[in-house]
Amino acid sequence: MRIEGSFVVAAPRERVFAEITNPALMAGCIPGCEAIEVIDPKTYRARILIEVGPIKARFNLVVEVKEEAPPERVVSVTRGEEGTRASVISSNNELVLVPAEGGGTEVKYVSEVSVTGRLGKFGLGMMKKKAEALGAKFAENFRGKIEAAAAS
Amino acid sequence: MSVPGYHRPKSVEDAARLLAETDGARCLSGGATLVAMMNASLAEPKAIVSLAGIPELAGIAELANGGFRIGAMTRHAATAADARLAGTLAVLRDAARQIANPVVRNMGTIGGSIGFADPAADYPPALVAANAEVEIVNAAGRRRVAARDFFVDWYTTACGPGEFVTGVHLPPPRPGAGLYRKLARVSGDFAIASVALSAARDAAGVSVRIAVGGCGPRPIRADAADALLSAKFGDAAAAAAAGEALAAAADPVDDVRASAEYRRLVIPRLVAETVAHARAALEAR
Repeated sequence: MRIEGSFVVAAPRERVFAEITNPALMAGCIPGCEAIEVIDPKTYRARILIEVGPIKARFNLVVEVKEEAPPERVVSVTRGEEGTRASVISSNNELVLVPAEGGGTEVKYVSEVSVTGRLGKFGLGMMKKKAEALGAKFAENFRGKIEAAAAS
Repeated sequence: MSVPGYHRPKSVEDAARLLAETDGARCLSGGATLVAMMNASLAEPKAIVSLAGIPELAGIAELANGGFRIGAMTRHAATAADARLAGTLAVLRDAARQIANPVVRNMGTIGGSIGFADPAADYPPALVAANAEVEIVNAAGRRRVAARDFFVDWYTTACGPGEFVTGVHLPPPRPGAGLYRKLARVSGDFAIASVALSAARDAAGVSVRIAVGGCGPRPIRADAADALLSAKFGDAAAAAAAGEALAAAADPVDDVRASAEYRRLVIPRLVAETVAHARAALEAR
């Protein structure tokens, strides 16, 4: 399934790029992110808790940065498994930063996500809605951190 | 997976306390939902609090105001068979008799069904159309939430951690019609789309409540649809406009049953059909 969205942050592109590629800051912005670990400058490991109604799924993800073109584009691949279960999530992600009209930076993201295993038993349509809601929550968290830091 | 602990309290208060005290505990009512979820390894409670031994949760009781309280452990078959749920409240009986199949209707309960809050299930829109309230308990006491506020999101209700559904309160039945129509792939399946409607008629006119199931994160309703149908009940143009208002309020997704686009298309038709049936039912009285 394809998840896409965009949001505007009131900060210059260079700064947004630096923050959005900063794992320590991202850990506090990604909904359900419990831990993030830097393996090398291009590889991260993250633990994410996804909750849908009564279902809780904890994924161990590896994020690999494939291409980086500061300050405008990051291409990454995510792969993860749910503990010892046969649930696998993988995604190809592209992040693009463009100067927004009237100042600030527009962050655009597109991910092609596939889910197999027990969570795949849920309809993809509903999961897509859930993913979009998480995207909106991330945008709100990220904007909150950047803009609060800029104001102080 | 590990074997969950099992508790069988004798009172609602004990159940609420167990639920609050026990990490990863979940209530078991009829098992039609929870056991199926456990079999699919989608739910993995660490402890089960069975509600089967609590007398006050079973059955349908008439209240002093003429309304009814349906205990959370009441089976779908009992709700479907209760002739006291007449007039506007017939919408709930009509929904109950269309749930799944006889085996599920003999085991499944109203509390378990609405606690899971699958938006394609039959009770959620029927409870909204019936203007019901859901009774919720926690370790500190009980509260009631209007059905339209109880269903919050996909599989998410107004119940917080440590809370569970103890029953459903229905207002006194009013003369009129209550019906539930479901479009499904086969008999007994979850709804592609469904419409629940209650129409009260007295000397002052007709008062309608309508809700759509299977077409968004929770039952879909629209004040405009209720107002249009109440003002001109049975009028084809009003029914069409109400159907459009509900389709606009819907937020359907593509799934194995149908596409989102198909659902938007079918809502106005199902609304028109339901209104026509309700009108025929009113005229037959």
